[in-house]
Amino acid sequence: MKWRNILLIFRREVLDQLRDRRTLFMVAVLPLLLYPVMGIGMVQMTVLFSEQPRTVVILGADNLPSMPLVLGDRFAKNWFRNPVDADKLRVITDGTPANDPSAPASVLSKEDSAERRALVERAVRLRGQLKQRMELETQLAAAREAKQIQDVLRLQGELRLVSDPLGSLFSDSGIQVLIVIPSDFKANLDRLRGELAKRGADAPLTAVDYPRPVIVQNSADERSVIAHNRVTEVLDEWERSLLREYLRDSGLPENLPTPVKPTELDLAEQDQVSANVWAKLFPALLILMALTGAFYPAVDLGAGEKERGTMETLLICPATRTEIVLGKFLTVMLFSASTAMLNMGSLGFTGKYMASLAGGGGAASKLGDLALPPLSSLIWILVMLLPLASLFSALCLALATFAKSSKEGQYYLTPLLMVTMGLTVFCSSPASEIEPFYSVLPVMGPALLLKGLLKATGPSRDIYFYVIPVLVTSIGYSLLALWWAIDQFGSEEVLFREAERFDLRLWVKHLLRDKEPTPTFAEGGFCFLLILLLQFATMKSMQSAMVGASPESRGLLTMQLLVIQQIALIATPALMMGVMLTTSVRRTFSLRWPGTGRLAWAALLPFALHPLTVELQMSLVWFFPKPPPGLAETMQLMSSDNQPLWLVLLAFAAAPAICEELAFRGFLLSGLKRRGKVGVAIALSSLAFGIIHMIPQQVFNAALLGVVLGAICVRSRSIFPGMVFHFLYNTLAVLHGRVGGQVPDDGFFGWFFRHEASSVAGEVGALRYEPVLLCLASLAAISLLHRLTNHPKILEEWDLPPDRSAASPLIEPASPRPVDAVSAAT
Amino acid sequence: MITVERLTKRFADLQTGGFTALDGVSFEVRPGEILGLLGPNGAGKTTCLRMLSTVLRPTSGTAFVAGYDVTTHPTEVRARIGFMSNNTGIYDRMTAWEMVEYFGRLYGIPEEALQKRISQLFDRLSMNNIRDVLGSKMSTGMKQKVSIARTIVHDPPVLIFDEPTSGLDVLVARNVVDEIKSLREQGKCIIYSTHIMREVEKLCHRIAIIYKGRLLAIGSVQELSEQYKQPDMEELFFQLIDEYEAKLAAVA
Repeated sequence: MKWRNILLIFRREVLDQLRDRRTLFMVAVLPLLLYPVMGIGMVQMTVLFSEQPRTVVILGADNLPSMPLVLGDRFAKNWFRNPVDADKLRVITDGTPANDPSAPASVLSKEDSAERRALVERAVRLRGQLKQRMELETQLAAAREAKQIQDVLRLQGELRLVSDPLGSLFSDSGIQVLIVIPSDFKANLDRLRGELAKRGADAPLTAVDYPRPVIVQNSADERSVIAHNRVTEVLDEWERSLLREYLRDSGLPENLPTPVKPTELDLAEQDQVSANVWAKLFPALLILMALTGAFYPAVDLGAGEKERGTMETLLICPATRTEIVLGKFLTVMLFSASTAMLNMGSLGFTGKYMASLAGGGGAASKLGDLALPPLSSLIWILVMLLPLASLFSALCLALATFAKSSKEGQYYLTPLLMVTMGLTVFCSSPASEIEPFYSVLPVMGPALLLKGLLKATGPSRDIYFYVIPVLVTSIGYSLLALWWAIDQFGSEEVLFREAERFDLRLWVKHLLRDKEPTPTFAEGGFCFLLILLLQFATMKSMQSAMVGASPESRGLLTMQLLVIQQIALIATPALMMGVMLTTSVRRTFSLRWPGTGRLAWAALLPFALHPLTVELQMSLVWFFPKPPPGLAETMQLMSSDNQPLWLVLLAFAAAPAICEELAFRGFLLSGLKRRGKVGVAIALSSLAFGIIHMIPQQVFNAALLGVVLGAICVRSRSIFPGMVFHFLYNTLAVLHGRVGGQVPDDGFFGWFFRHEASSVAGEVGALRYEPVLLCLASLAAISLLHRLTNHPKILEEWDLPPDRSAASPLIEPASPRPVDAVSAAT
Repeated sequence: MITVERLTKRFADLQTGGFTALDGVSFEVRPGEILGLLGPNGAGKTTCLRMLSTVLRPTSGTAFVAGYDVTTHPTEVRARIGFMSNNTGIYDRMTAWEMVEYFGRLYGIPEEALQKRISQLFDRLSMNNIRDVLGSKMSTGMKQKVSIARTIVHDPPVLIFDEPTSGLDVLVARNVVDEIKSLREQGKCIIYSTHIMREVEKLCHRIAIIYKGRLLAIGSVQELSEQYKQPDMEELFFQLIDEYEAKLAAVA
C-alpha cells in the first residue's frame, strides 16, 4: 500500500467534489444557510401567527357570584397568568353582559348578535340533553346497585341513544367549551359564606353539598382541549380568589388553603441551562449530519463513478483497490466531518443570536443566553465525531460501491438513514444514559457518551471510564465497515454488475432449476432473516398464550411453546429451504458420521466449558442491562423441581440441540461458507445464532458458543458432534440450577465449589466454581477443542476446495466438442 | 510481450445458469507488432482485454504481460500497459491537463519528467487548445484525445486499444489510427480490438478472429487467406462464423 497513491486519489476526489455544485450545496451551503433562514422563519412565524379565539358559552351566567368572572365577551384579564391569553377565549353568556369598563362600549352588529343567539340556543339544547344523560346515569347506577339486570340493560340502551348524538351535536355546535351554572349556585355560595362567617363552637360548619357547575369539552378535539385548559386555569384562579374573600370575611388567614406551599429555588446557572440545550441537540445533530455528509459524496464517489464510466479508468491505473478505497474513504470522511461541524457551528451561532434577540421576555429566557459550549466540550465533540464519521463513511461507501447507479445508491442508503434516525431518537430521550452495554454498540456509544460529556452539571467522573471502550469499539466498527467496503471494491460482480432485468418468475425458476449441492451465501442469509421474522411475528401470540394461562399451568405451557418454537420457527424454515433449494440435503446439513472419537470429545467438552461460561457470565453481570422479568421466570422454570426433569431437558436441551444446530450450523453455515472465507462464515453464523436469543446477555453467550459450535462443525464436517455438545451443555445449565445447591462445598470439594450467599434463609445460593476448577477446566477445554478442530482432515468425495466447489455447479460441459477440432485446425 | 494461455472467463447468469464469455483462448503478441482482435459485439473481446488489464480475474488459464502474470502480479502489469476502451471514460470535473497529470502521477512518474512529457503529448496530439477545458465540456473527439494521452502518458511497452474509433467521425478516427501507427513504429506491443475490417487490414500484422468466446482463427492476412483460400478478409470472417454455427447446430 502506497500512501502517495492514497493521497493522490484523496486530493483528486476532494477537488472533484468541490467542483460539484450539488454536493457542495448539500454539504456546505445548505447548513450555513439553513439555520439562519429557519431562524428568520421562526421570528416571522411568531409575528404573524395569532391564535384564533375559541368560543366558550356560559349558561346561567346570572347565577354567578358577584366576583366578576366575565367582562364583556372575555374572561377578566386578572384571572390569567399571562393576561394576553384573555383574548384567546371568546365568552358568550345567556345573561346580561357586564360591561368591561376599560373597553369602549361595544356596539354589537346585527349578525354578531344573531350568531350569539344561535350559539346560546344550541347550548341550551345541549344542556337539555346533558341533563337527560345525567339523570339516566344516576338511574343506571341505582339499577346496578340493586342488581336489576333488565333495568340495567334497558337504561344502557337509552343512555347510548342519548350520548351518541350528544358528541356530534357538541362538535357541530361551534362551541369549544360549555359551562353550565346551576340555577341556585349564587344562593348556595352566599349561604356558605354566611355560615362560614357565623361559625363558632356552638354552630359547627356542617358539610353541605350543592349542585356544582358543569364544564363540557371534547378531549378528542385539540381546539376544545386548549380552550378547556385555559378555562380551567381561569376558574381555578377565580375560585382561589373567592375562597380568599370568604376567609377574609370570617377573619381567617388568607393563606390557610396553602399551608405547605414551598419556596422554589433553582440552582441552575445560565450557562448550565444553555449547556443542557446543547447536550440534547449536539449528539443527535452530530450523528445525523455526519451521516448526511457522508451519504451524498459516497454515492457520487461509488455509484456515480460507475455511472459516468470512469470506474474502469481508475481500476487500470497502478493503484491497488485498497488504495483506491482508502482514498475515497478519506474523502467521504472529510465531507462527513465537515458537514457535521458546519451544521453544529451554524446551529450554535444562530441559536445564540436568536436567544439574544428574544432578550428578556418569553420562553427564550428560560434557555439562558445560549452561550456556546466551552472549549473542552468542543474538543470532545471533535473526538467523538471522528469514529462516527469514519463508520458512516465506510458504510456509505460500501453500499454506494454496490449500487449500479446514483439512484440505486440512494435507495440503499435510505434504510441506513432510517435506522440511524431511530437510534438518534433513542439516544436523545432524557431517560437514556450511557451504560456499559450501550458503550460498545455502534453509534449509540458515541452519542450517549457525548451526551454525558456535554451535560450541564459537567461530566461526572465515571463518564471518563467509558471513553476508552467507546473509542476502541467505534474504531473497530469503522474498520469492519472499511474492510467490507474494500471487499466490495475487490468483487467483480459488484464492479461490473450489468443492468439486469429482474423477473420474479425467472428468478424462482432459476432457484429451483439451478440448484446446487449446498445453499448460496444469500440463501443462508435469507434463512436467518426468515427465522428472525417468524420469531417476531409469533411473539405476540406466544405472549398472549402465556398471559391467558393460569399460574400453575404456565410452566408446562412455556415448555410446550419452547419446543414448538424450536421445531416450527427454527428447524422447519431451515429444513424446508434445504430440501427445496439444494440438491444435497446431506451436504447442506453436514449429515455425516463423525466417528466415535469425535463424538466422545464433543461430549466431554461441555463439562470443561460449562464452569468457564458460568463464571464469565457472572463476572459480566455488571456489563449488561438488567434482563426483563420474563426471562427470570423462564430461568426459574429451568431450575425449579416442579416439572419433571425429562420434560425440562426436552424443552431446554434436546429441542435446541437438534433444531438450532440444523438451522445455524446446518443450513446457515453451509450457505455462509460458500463465500470461501470460513472464519467469516463462522463469525456470521454465531452472530446470527446470538441475535435470535434477543436478550443482550444471552446474545453474548450464544454468540460465543456459536463460534465453538461453528468451528467444531466445520472441522469435523459433521453436525452431530455439535448436537451432542449443545445438548450436554444445556443439560448442564439445567442441572446447575436444579441440583447445583446439593453439590458439597466442604473439605476436599471446597477446592472446587462454593455456593453464593442466598437471600432466602435455609437455602443455598447458586453453585459457583473455584479458581482451581476453572484452571483445570480451561486446560481440558483447550485440549479438547484442539482435538476437535485439529483432527486430520477427513476428505470426502465432495470435499473440494471451497472456490472450485463454488464455481463447479455453473460449469456445464465445457463447450461443444467439435469446436476443439475447429481450433485445432486453425 | 503478451502471452495468453487458455484464458477462460465464466459469468453467472440468471437466465441460462451460466455464461462463458471467453473459452480457452491462447495467443501471443510480440513487441513492434499489432494484433487485431476481430469479432462481432459480445464475442468476448472486451472480457479478454479486461483480463489482460487485470480488471477481471480469469476463471482459469493465465496471461503474461511484459513478463508478469496477470493473476499474481496485477500491480506490475498495470504499471506496464496502457489501456483504452469505451469504458475508460474521462472525469467530467477535471481539465484535460489535470486528467493526464493525475494519471501520470499515479504511474509514479517524477514531477519534472511528467510535466515535460505531458507538454510533449499535448503538442503531438495538438491538444493545447483544450488544455484547460473541463471533461464535461469536451466533444467526443476531444475526449478520445485525452484518453489517448492518458493511455500513453507513462510510455508503456504494451498497449491495448478496445474499439478506440467507435463513435468517432472519420477525421478523428483517422487521427487515432495514425497515432496508433506511430506507436507501432516505436516498437510497442499492441492489441487492437475492433469490428471494423478496414482498420484491421490497414493497421494489423496479425488478426485473431473471436466468436462466441472461442478463437476461430489467427494469423497474418496472407497466412489466413492462404489457409482458407479466401483473399477477402470480410468474406473469410463470415465464412468462419458460418462454419462454426453449423458445427454448433450439428452438436445440438
